[in-house]
Amino acid sequence: MHRYRSVFKDESKLDISYIPYRLPHRNQELRLLKEFFSFILQFPEKMTQRVLITGDVGTGKTVLSQRFGADITREASKRRINLRYVHVNCREYRGSLFLILHHVVSVFHPNFPKRGYSAEELLAILLQVLDEENAYVILTLDEFESLVNREGSEAVYKLTRMQEIRQNEPKRISLICILRNLRVIEKLDASTRSTLQSNIIRLEKYSKQQLIDILNDRVAIAFKPLTVQEETISLIAELAFTEGGNARFGIELLWRAGKYADAEELETVTPECVRKAVSSIIPTLRKDELKFLGFHEKLFLLGIARIFKESQKAYASIAEAEKAYAIVCEEYNVKPHSHTQLWKYLRSFSNYGIVKTEVSNVNAHGRSTLIYLPNVPAEDLEKELTSLLEKRKKRENL
Amino acid sequence: MNLEEFFSSKLRMKILKLFFQLGELNVSEVARRLGINYKTTDKHLKTLEEEGILQHKTFGRIRLYRINESSPKAEVLRELIESWESL
Repeated sequence: MHRYRSVFKDESKLDISYIPYRLPHRNQELRLLKEFFSFILQFPEKMTQRVLITGDVGTGKTVLSQRFGADITREASKRRINLRYVHVNCREYRGSLFLILHHVVSVFHPNFPKRGYSAEELLAILLQVLDEENAYVILTLDEFESLVNREGSEAVYKLTRMQEIRQNEPKRISLICILRNLRVIEKLDASTRSTLQSNIIRLEKYSKQQLIDILNDRVAIAFKPLTVQEETISLIAELAFTEGGNARFGIELLWRAGKYADAEELETVTPECVRKAVSSIIPTLRKDELKFLGFHEKLFLLGIARIFKESQKAYASIAEAEKAYAIVCEEYNVKPHSHTQLWKYLRSFSNYGIVKTEVSNVNAHGRSTLIYLPNVPAEDLEKELTSLLEKRKKRENL
Repeated sequence: MNLEEFFSSKLRMKILKLFFQLGELNVSEVARRLGINYKTTDKHLKTLEEEGILQHKTFGRIRLYRINESSPKAEVLRELIESWESL
């Protein structure tokens, strides 16, 4: 009888949500973060902290923050301090301060209603909840760009100043803001900027050797002994290095290569498995980035992907994109969103680096915007979006 | 309220079951989940609070009700509902 064998010992250790105990080549940054927040273990009520973590995709911003969160809450619990670490991906909440705050309140009151009050009221409610439970929160705003793009200075101002005006009351909410590029901070007004910019942790791109160390660590906990060849790790590190020192890309590639090895019933993960795996990954656009798009954003992007897939064109006009979107809407049996709304979607795709937009020269009809799809094969993008939309449909039919 | 009167309302029992299942809810959410109007829901919640079975906390304009964990009546009702439902 055929016996299923796998190269994996525990593939969940390669999942994006896994937080490793050791963070190779990020120890110094972890120590710095702990230093910034050391007051919380001594006199949490006396002050709050704000830290910015910045770096390119896959430089370990999220995992650094989550490791820190797990460590500090464990330490606080030993000292009987009610500290919660809440990690929010702002993009998942469409950059809305209200939805982000609602998520934080839900940590304490899971069925807290979503309607009937403003973001300011919700912030006051959150402070009330924290006062009643004598709790402190380190709120990490991952993909902080989304919040700034949608809410501007107001949101950060509210989050930081609301506590400052509560004189003689304990301080409750500290912030960690994670962002790729510090340029987004320039969009904030001067006073808000100054409240944020005092503590900045910059994560540099990993070198190839550093990526090898990270991959070796994961291999040890995720794979059975001697199942991943040294050359395989070196190749993955090389590919991840050319992807901008992107460790997340490397780890995903490692998992995928393991899957190819299992599918072919190999005893080891070979460089050939990596080559097969890499051709199946959308190069610069990660799956998890598409997942966070709203329903109509996905439909609109699907329309754009189809234009490029079917025409081999270098660029498309917004009018063509709208037409393609209208057809997709018909297919999914939904009413298309307005032109203005599509404009906003296009702007956010451009901010996330999914598409590139350019204003063409003025012609008889005025200016027109051209859309480019620079990094992603249209076919892969279409496939990925269709699969996400199908999953949604299935969920709705359940 | 006497025992007969307390158990005479089907809605009250539904509300209780909902709280034992979900823990904490505001008036509108109870009304929405059971498909009843706000006023009736509010009346039942107040009765259950008067009996000491529920308690509430106010956050701004939001009133959140929950089971009063220190109430002996709530404890008995939890056991009753759990045993009844598992039969």
